[in-house]
Amino acid sequence: MLDLLRTELSCGIATDAETLQKYGLDWTRFYAPNALAVIFPTTVDEVVALVKFANLHRLALVPSGGRTGLSGGAVAMNGELVVSFEKMNRILDFDPIDHYAVVQPGVITANLQAFAAEHDCLYPVDFASAGSSQIGGNIATNAGGIKVLRYGLTRDWVVGLKVVTGTGELLDLNKGLVKNATGYDFRHLFIGSEGTLGFIVEATIRLAPRPRNLNVILLAVPEMAKIIAVLETFRRHVSLTAYEFFSEQALQHVINHTGGKHPFAEQSSFYALLEYEVVSAEDVDASLAAFESCLDAGLTTDGVISASETQRRDLWRLRENISESITPFTPYKNDVAVRVSRVPEFLAAVDAEVGQRYPNFEIVWFGHIGDGNLHLNILKPADWTVAAFKAECELVSGHIMRIVAEFDGSISAEHGVGLLKRDQLTFSRSMVEIDLMRSVKAVFDPNNIMNPGKLLS
Amino acid sequence: MKVLVTAKRVVDYNVSIRVLSDNSGVDLNNVKMSVNPFDEIAIEEAVRLKEAGKVEEVIVLSIGTSASQEQIRTCLALGADRGILIETDVEVQPLAIAKCIKAIIDKEQPSLIITGKQAIDGDNSQTGQMVAALAGLAQATFASKIELNEDTATVTREIDGGLEVITVKLPAVVTTDLRLNEPRYASLPNIMKAKKKPVEVLTPEDLGVDVTPRVKTLKVTPPAERKAGIIVETVEALVDKLKNEAKVIS
Ligand SMILES: Cc1cc2nc3c(=O)[nH]c(=O)nc-3n(C[C@H](O)[C@H](O)[C@H](O)COP(=O)(O)OP(=O)(O)OC[C@H]3O[C@@H](n4cnc5c(N)ncnc54)[C@H](O)[C@@H]3O)c2cc1C
Repeated sequence: MLDLLRTELSCGIATDAETLQKYGLDWTRFYAPNALAVIFPTTVDEVVALVKFANLHRLALVPSGGRTGLSGGAVAMNGELVVSFEKMNRILDFDPIDHYAVVQPGVITANLQAFAAEHDCLYPVDFASAGSSQIGGNIATNAGGIKVLRYGLTRDWVVGLKVVTGTGELLDLNKGLVKNATGYDFRHLFIGSEGTLGFIVEATIRLAPRPRNLNVILLAVPEMAKIIAVLETFRRHVSLTAYEFFSEQALQHVINHTGGKHPFAEQSSFYALLEYEVVSAEDVDASLAAFESCLDAGLTTDGVISASETQRRDLWRLRENISESITPFTPYKNDVAVRVSRVPEFLAAVDAEVGQRYPNFEIVWFGHIGDGNLHLNILKPADWTVAAFKAECELVSGHIMRIVAEFDGSISAEHGVGLLKRDQLTFSRSMVEIDLMRSVKAVFDPNNIMNPGKLLS
Repeated sequence: MKVLVTAKRVVDYNVSIRVLSDNSGVDLNNVKMSVNPFDEIAIEEAVRLKEAGKVEEVIVLSIGTSASQEQIRTCLALGADRGILIETDVEVQPLAIAKCIKAIIDKEQPSLIITGKQAIDGDNSQTGQMVAALAGLAQATFASKIELNEDTATVTREIDGGLEVITVKLPAVVTTDLRLNEPRYASLPNIMKAKKKPVEVLTPEDLGVDVTPRVKTLKVTPPAERKAGIIVETVEALVDKLKNEAKVIS
């Protein structure tokens, strides 16, 4: 097979052990990689030829972006061919009237953000892994992040998409149109499909106007249940661009990891980080009024505000570095969501469950709580093996998923399903829906060569 | 003991500035403005001295447009006790600023004056030194450590190739360097309390200071753009380019 690949395809191919190990894994730490080889296409034509070849030889393909995925979507452990898009990493065009950027799939998210800033625009999808993740991977997972509250998900910024289906068909979807009422919008089907229907080979991305002045406030919130009331109060006063929460434990991990200072003289159990746009001095006054209301209502005990852009970024780091700082503890990540109005009730239910059943695990709470999205991270005690820990966490997850289902929530808010959440899909989607998903996959990928085993078993 | 600190309103350190198309200056429209970072360090130091019981009162002074009230309020929230704004719409240059500060020194008689070593807008690094000269006070510039004694201050200065420790008689002017301290965040309860702290607004005329600019800016241009880099395929190609194109090795 390798010889055939080399003779029939023009792309670079790597088979050395180090490359196979590296490109066979994403950010999850639970799988042993086993890839056939890694291939690096550089053009759309090469991708088409590759998919046609794979169809002919029934060769399973795993699309690979920045490999920051948290559900094992880009993991190759069954002798698949890994298709890395890192050599297709150019920004092809910018249209100053539409404010559109045309990008190849391997463009690093942060590079598109920087490109947008150079054109006095904003690419608003942002999260801690933006320095490594790729636009193709973001589209394939419909990535969310820290600005969803104001700007929505990756889906909301993709106005055109070129994809190569599982049969090697090149589709040019929506072509940048704002309005296009001409039947099924396959673009949206491919967004969030985790590479199971085809490859994203080019995208046209809409850019937003750049906000001029943002302030960050960090609030000490004594109880988890009060988080949404704080959000509600601030929403009535200011135009929020982000609303995040984390626990003192999460903050301690960041401080230990990065060596910074604690932002408050007195610790609190939880913190809310909110960001809002300042157009005039009145917005700052409004945020102070919101703080006063929260203080009077006992929703917060203290707060700090950024006085400069440097401080704004430093405060954000306290939230953004959480994931990285707990990585050494092999965290088992639950990324769940419920409707915002039900968050307090949901948090209480989850807290009671894990507190009672797993008093010996350290649990780190944080998340994009303004979107109803909670990241519940369970840390591996040093004396547990990874396998035993994962098995135990799956038991924990079972209980959490049951609560998620009771609240009509999602078992994967933004990290996708991949391998890790595949067997829990039934907690969020009905059997009829899952069967229909299978049928859809069969239409675009009849030979099941596109990321087989991910999302659907 | 009374301490006077200065706080200039400047374009935020992280903003990438744009030059106006007529080359008359920098575009300040809708741009984030903050306290000069070196002044933030000055405020922090003064507040720490107060918290340590070495100082009774911290006065913050800003010279600029009425918008500078915002920066004074920030400093009051950080722990300064009262503010003074010398309000003017004129583009104030270091000498004019130094004369204004000197006038306030005469009025308030502080034992210590802490300013930033420079403001990041003009990057002049002149004000503190001029103030010391105009007021006939000792100066300790580029401080990375300040120790207050009865009637002297021992200051560690950052100098080329090392540190220098000097002792100056009070009252003295100290200018701050980056390593002096790490400024705190303004707390929201303190911002609310700061609203009640007094800010006195004066004009240069009130103080008998002529702030007319002495230096005229003829033209502002952005720095030349750097040419995009290239990735060379081999070490040989790199050596070749360094030798024959960049001519940095032979
Ligand atoms: C520290 C940290 C913080 C994170 N925070 C967030 C967050 O706040 N919000 C969030 O949504 N995610 C977050 N993530 C998860 C991750 O960064 C996102 O899922 C991201 O979109 C993955 O992009 P990637 O390029 O790394 O994709 P990969 O991990 O390489 O792949 C992800 C999936 O997309 C498929 N894929 C990749 N490229 C293509 C392509 N061109 N065509 C078709 N399929 C493709 C892969 O097969 C896989 O199924 C975080 C991850 C880390 C490590």
